[in-house]
Amino acid sequence: MQTETLNFPDMPTLRPETLRVSGLSLARGEVMLVRDFGLELAPGEAVVMSGPNGTGKTTLLRAIAGFIRPEAGTIDIGSHAPAVAAAEALAWLGHADGLKPGETPRQALRFWADMAGQSRKAILPVMRTMAIESLIDRPAGRLSRGQQRRTALVRVALMNRPIWLLDEPAGPLDGGGRARLAELVAWHRSRGGSVIAATHQKLDWPDGKRIDLGAHR
Amino acid sequence: MSALGAVFVREARLAWAGGGGAAGPAAFFLAAITLAPLAIGPAPDLLAAIGPGIMGFAALLSVLQSADRLFGDDHGDGTAELYLLSGVTPSWLVLAKVMGQAAATLWPLPVIGLVGALMYGVPVAPAAVGALASLAAIPALSLIAGFAGALAAGIRRSGLLIALIATPMMVPVLIFAAGAGRAAFEGDERALANLLLTLAVSLGATALAPFGIAAALRSRLA
Repeated sequence: MQTETLNFPDMPTLRPETLRVSGLSLARGEVMLVRDFGLELAPGEAVVMSGPNGTGKTTLLRAIAGFIRPEAGTIDIGSHAPAVAAAEALAWLGHADGLKPGETPRQALRFWADMAGQSRKAILPVMRTMAIESLIDRPAGRLSRGQQRRTALVRVALMNRPIWLLDEPAGPLDGGGRARLAELVAWHRSRGGSVIAATHQKLDWPDGKRIDLGAHR
Repeated sequence: MSALGAVFVREARLAWAGGGGAAGPAAFFLAAITLAPLAIGPAPDLLAAIGPGIMGFAALLSVLQSADRLFGDDHGDGTAELYLLSGVTPSWLVLAKVMGQAAATLWPLPVIGLVGALMYGVPVAPAAVGALASLAAIPALSLIAGFAGALAAGIRRSGLLIALIATPMMVPVLIFAAGAGRAAFEGDERALANLLLTLAVSLGATALAPFGIAAALRSRLA
């Protein structure tokens, strides 16, 4: 699929972390979504979660990110627990792209690079990987949904965090976008990063673990 | 750039890019102080006496006017999640955000307040004290508005909730800030005390409100 491995020389080396989830139960209101769920994600691994709407894929990602408290079970990232303490190990892509309509990708990505303490020099090369470098000065409000998603994926890569949590990363992407996403994920894994993605689409990531959350109710 | 500096600069920039910057609160403030005399009637002595109070009161309302967007937008567009995972201490982050927004949008209030008080017939010295007091009140007012805005983020008709939460909390700072201008107008030496108390409320809000805002933001994501 990819001809050469990506390389962004301005990104410092990643400090790999292992994610361990055990005995996890999650509820939304009175409804139990996930019961006794376990997962170990070692550096370099990828997990693709599928399952019908409402099975708790997003809820599980939000629990790992520390936004919601599980009913039971533990989530450990490296030696940190709970997950909130490990914010610096996570890069997040939610339903929303986290873009401001009046802000251009250049402004937004510079801001997030500064927030993560990363060099701004990697912005352009990573944008080129997602094939949106020509849109760098167009306000996000005038980008298509797919272009906004690509910009958000560039942000995820720029944060230089070991564990990526991606909620429907390929939702609005076309075939080309999905191929570029796969390249970005392969690059991330090649340097010791890991990925958990929730998706309805077929993501063609080599030797990614597949989990059907519908089976964990 | 440091992370907190980046937040401050970005908020100021976004306030200009998306919300017209200082124009919104300034226009609201101007409208309020222009309409008040029309309702009260043409009595110069009365207008001069109530001038400092009207300035403080109208400034408070102008700060509330944009409070729903401060954290509501972040909640809706996914920025709030990114903030919490940014690795920057949330209470520092929200302080930089509120201050960045306040610096970009609220700076005309003391200026308009000064000119407005003069036009109400307030002498220069008390008008200046009133303007200083509203400057001293801005951190407290914007942090309280931010706290209410964070609690109401993502709620339909959040403006109603913000007004209900923020208005009672703004009472002390309104009393001290307007009191400074009023006391100065009456030649009362308590003007300085009121001014210092306004500053004290602002300092207290700066120390405490960021924790409340950060907690509110987190709870709105759960």
